[in-house]
Amino acid sequence: MTKHSDGTTGSAFPMPALHRRHILALGAGGLLAASGFGASAQTKPAPPPPAKPTGQVVVGLSQEPTAFNPLMPGIEVDETVWMQVFNTMWLADPQGNLMPDLATEVPSEANGGISEGGLAWKVKLREGITWHDGTPFTAEDVKYTLELINAPGFKSRTRVGHALVKDIVVKGPHEISWRMEKAYAPYLALLSNTFIVPKHLLEKASDPNTAPFNGAPVGTGPFKWGQRTPGDNITLVANERYHGKGPYLEKAVLKYVPDQTALYAQFRTGQVDLIIGTGIPANFYAEAVKLPGRKIVKIPNASLEILMPNLEHPALSEKAVRQALYASINKQAIIDVIFYGLHKPTESFAPQESWAYNPNLPQQSYDLAKANKLLDDAGWKRSGSGTRMKNGVPLEFAVSTTTGASLREQCQQLMMQDWQQVGVSMKINNMPAAVIWGEFYTRSKFQSLLVGTAFRTVIDPDPASRFASDAIPAKSGSGANQMQWQNAEVDKLLKEGQETFDQEKRKAVYWKLQEIVREELPILPIYQYVPVEGYKEGLIGYEPNINARQNTWNMGSWYWAR
Amino acid sequence: MSADLTGVAEIRTAASPFFWNSPGFRRFRQHRLAVFGAVAIVAMTLACIFGPMLLPYSDTFIDIRQRFAPPFSGPHVLGTDPLGRDILARLLMAGRISLAVGFSAMLISMATGICIGMIAGFYEGAVGAALMRFVDAMLCFPSIFLLLAISALISPSVPSIVMLIAMTSWMEVARVVEAQIKSLRTRDYVVAAVAMGASNGRIMFRQLLPNAIAPIVVAATLNVAHAILAESYISFLGYGIQPPTPSWGNMLENAQSYLTSAPWLAILPGAAITLAVTSFNFVGDGLRDALDPRMDLP
Amino acid sequence: MSTFLVRRLLQALVLLLIVSMIGFAILHLAPGGPLSQFAAGGDMTQADLDRIAEQLGLNRPLPVQYAEWLWRMLRGDWGLSYRDHQPVLHIIASHIGATLELMLTSTLLAMLLGAWVGILGAVKRYSVFDSLATIGAMIALSIPTFWFGLVIIYVFSVGLGWLPAGNRYTVGDGSVLNRIHHLIGPCIVLALVSTAVWSRYMRSSMLEVVNQDYIRTARAKGVPERQVLLRHAFRNALLPMITITGLHVPTLLSGALVTETVFTWPGMGRLFLDSISYRDYPTVMGILMFTAVLVLLGSLIADLLYGLADPRIARNG
Repeated sequence: MTKHSDGTTGSAFPMPALHRRHILALGAGGLLAASGFGASAQTKPAPPPPAKPTGQVVVGLSQEPTAFNPLMPGIEVDETVWMQVFNTMWLADPQGNLMPDLATEVPSEANGGISEGGLAWKVKLREGITWHDGTPFTAEDVKYTLELINAPGFKSRTRVGHALVKDIVVKGPHEISWRMEKAYAPYLALLSNTFIVPKHLLEKASDPNTAPFNGAPVGTGPFKWGQRTPGDNITLVANERYHGKGPYLEKAVLKYVPDQTALYAQFRTGQVDLIIGTGIPANFYAEAVKLPGRKIVKIPNASLEILMPNLEHPALSEKAVRQALYASINKQAIIDVIFYGLHKPTESFAPQESWAYNPNLPQQSYDLAKANKLLDDAGWKRSGSGTRMKNGVPLEFAVSTTTGASLREQCQQLMMQDWQQVGVSMKINNMPAAVIWGEFYTRSKFQSLLVGTAFRTVIDPDPASRFASDAIPAKSGSGANQMQWQNAEVDKLLKEGQETFDQEKRKAVYWKLQEIVREELPILPIYQYVPVEGYKEGLIGYEPNINARQNTWNMGSWYWAR
Repeated sequence: MSADLTGVAEIRTAASPFFWNSPGFRRFRQHRLAVFGAVAIVAMTLACIFGPMLLPYSDTFIDIRQRFAPPFSGPHVLGTDPLGRDILARLLMAGRISLAVGFSAMLISMATGICIGMIAGFYEGAVGAALMRFVDAMLCFPSIFLLLAISALISPSVPSIVMLIAMTSWMEVARVVEAQIKSLRTRDYVVAAVAMGASNGRIMFRQLLPNAIAPIVVAATLNVAHAILAESYISFLGYGIQPPTPSWGNMLENAQSYLTSAPWLAILPGAAITLAVTSFNFVGDGLRDALDPRMDLP
Repeated sequence: MSTFLVRRLLQALVLLLIVSMIGFAILHLAPGGPLSQFAAGGDMTQADLDRIAEQLGLNRPLPVQYAEWLWRMLRGDWGLSYRDHQPVLHIIASHIGATLELMLTSTLLAMLLGAWVGILGAVKRYSVFDSLATIGAMIALSIPTFWFGLVIIYVFSVGLGWLPAGNRYTVGDGSVLNRIHHLIGPCIVLALVSTAVWSRYMRSSMLEVVNQDYIRTARAKGVPERQVLLRHAFRNALLPMITITGLHVPTLLSGALVTETVFTWPGMGRLFLDSISYRDYPTVMGILMFTAVLVLLGSLIADLLYGLADPRIARNG
């Protein structure tokens, strides 16, 4: 069993604390190097890269990448591989700009790539790119990729956006166009995460779901598939014909160490060169920054730790109860003591780097007297056992999270003690990740959850899928409004925010929305994540990217100072 | 999972009465390790029952300013945990839980194992064969599979953990009992009882069970040891008893990430588990020696 | 002989059928499913999840799914893993080496050490050595393995820096020395427990033999004590050990899950744990059947060997 001790991850796969892909378009500075150490290394003039690929890097991962076809279901850690082996047509840099990769330029209305109000798309592709097996890359591959995603028996990860694509036409070996059923701006962002697969290899397979390609992928990326030792590591080797910068490393080893504490121990002894993804547990931060020869970096991240109440719960459905609970959370103690001051307290569902973030929300303060008054006023009377009651309903509920997250468990116990003092009886009901994220979560069978999550739509601050009343899966909605929040004014605002393209108007909408959420508390925000990653001194090129799913996004341009 | 001593126990037909001045008890008293084990168990049980009442600290009271106090350094004798809770108080309360889990799981698994074993041994035909095949099938499962799969089905409370451990440890008991009953039921007094028209239930509980008691007692003792250990493994794998209730297993599990900064957090519950399990194993070993009639021979 | 074999094999088949049914039912009835991990990621919509469940055939009635699994299994198709999309047998094969390496080494070590301790204990019964060995074995059997593993890592890796903190080898250095270096820690942990078990078996088996008539006869005839022990006693005391070895075979392969976890050893135990955590049904079922076959084979082989070694044993089923 994986033992994750930073409180962000669960038994086998983490609470999705680190949603990098939701964060495209967050512009604020890529590298927030926290420790003085981290920053200084980046500012020193770096030695030039080697003339030919040399050396290797061992990347420590606390989850095992297992899905190698980038169009099939996978989790964040799988993208560590996809990013090296494959390319997308364009990708986002740390400042949030889309940079062309397989395409020669990112289509826009200005350059004519997108026309007819977003219905017609045209993309020019780079020439001279070859697949790892030597076959030239052409527009046919892009067409095949887009068609495969929608192919009926194919287990594609998601068809969001892709389902709108029709009439794909290969206009030349390096030019492709298609039409959209309706204008859908986020498609640009979706394509920045859609890796292009080789037609000539997948077409040969009788069933692309079981093609040999899925176990030994061939792409256009800086690294070629080397070999995999299941349960242990994946070795990638330099693609010397790569069309972009690099690669400068001869080999990249993705090493799976199932336990975060063990992973950190191996980072310390030097068996792994860097830790990314789930990162270094908070309780090792103070010790880690003192390690000789290691750089420890605080990473910008847009995920929030929240308490997600089920608003159909008899006690939690009442606003006064949620406000009282919120007032009696000792955020400062949680952040400063349990998480060693790493994370940032927050009042909003939007990350603080976002243009839509409203900094003027009322500040939560830890105030048990206020919480008691709120509950007294709302008619919740203390009973003999100390638990408040109202109309025969006791003020009690369970908080669930994934098992094995010991810092989160400490957090739960701290909340439990504070809530006990205001007459709230809380129980802890933690379960393995596979259980939590099953119907328990998707069908809103929990009473409340302590989770790390994000409230946005890929590129956009639009939280409609989380807050709209038609997005409740438990009520046959299609979104992810698992707390089952229904609010007519919010529905109206969400619609307004989607319909206008004027950023100032949208900002006003989302500021208002944040005020309502702060007042109604359909979620109780606790903090915004600041994960910690670390690497060995002398590694040049590592650059955290808030807009990439994993910080191996630019591994092709890494090298060792020697 | 390691150390399932019930499998090791090679248990023979025994029918010695278990009285204070019986030769068996004398042998038990001579078995110094067994006596040590028995004394340790009694002492631990008493400490866990009465200890928490004598301590000035509660096992769940969080005092964040006092966190990570090392042992013997202040008012907290054995130090404090990451939330500033008194470790001695937690160890004792955890002992209540862990010992209770051990005993209750033993009772349930013994009851199940004895019933199934007795029925299977007594009704030798199709019923017995079917039951024993079922036992064999259950033994084919890695115990870890049963633990993981079943713990996913239930919510991890103390009673459910007890059930879980019991469900994975009754099979060996059933085998032992079945073998015993099978060999006993051909004895003269059983045959005589059958001839006299005694009911099956009466024969099983009045004639067979008392004569098979020796290996059962030994198996029971070792079963407690197994259950205490099993609880710690379940906690280690993340399916243990929910916080804030302490158990030795979950204390140990939570201590892992502090192994370098606060090693006492792991050492103390680990030592407690080892002491308790060793004691039960000593007693089990002593009982086996004491109840084995062959030892009466020169 | 052949009727005995046929009977045993038939029994084994029935057992396998029961095991597969129980296992399949428990696994599929457990809450959560193979798609939970994708729901956690949050970038797949409910519609995507429902579609993939449909494509995997997960929303069909359980008996239908079982029948299909069984039918495929009977034709030798163990299925594809939901995680890797690789054949289950291939996945098992790729993890078995690591487990065998660890288990064979530690078992060998434990058998040698255990036999030595056990024999010496039996010969010098009630001596200081015997008492210490007994106490030591009892304590070894009582220590939670993972705790002992953590202590080993804490002392020898973190404190003294003598041993690596885990892994099978340093990436990029597959030399034998490097592998042996990594083997030491987990091997000590596993061998500790098995040495205890083996020494207890060996001791009681030896004690039983020492009291037999032919040993007394040999002694009475003036055969030197050393020869009595080695020639007569030891050889006969090994007989029951054969059974135990046979019963031990499955654990050789199913792996020491906890030790593998503590020492991040990429073997069968870890595979099983990960597969359960991700609800990778085909792989879990595969490992389950694989282990069950081993358990049954192990006990069958033990019986056969025992019969060969000691013809007096009547085979009655």
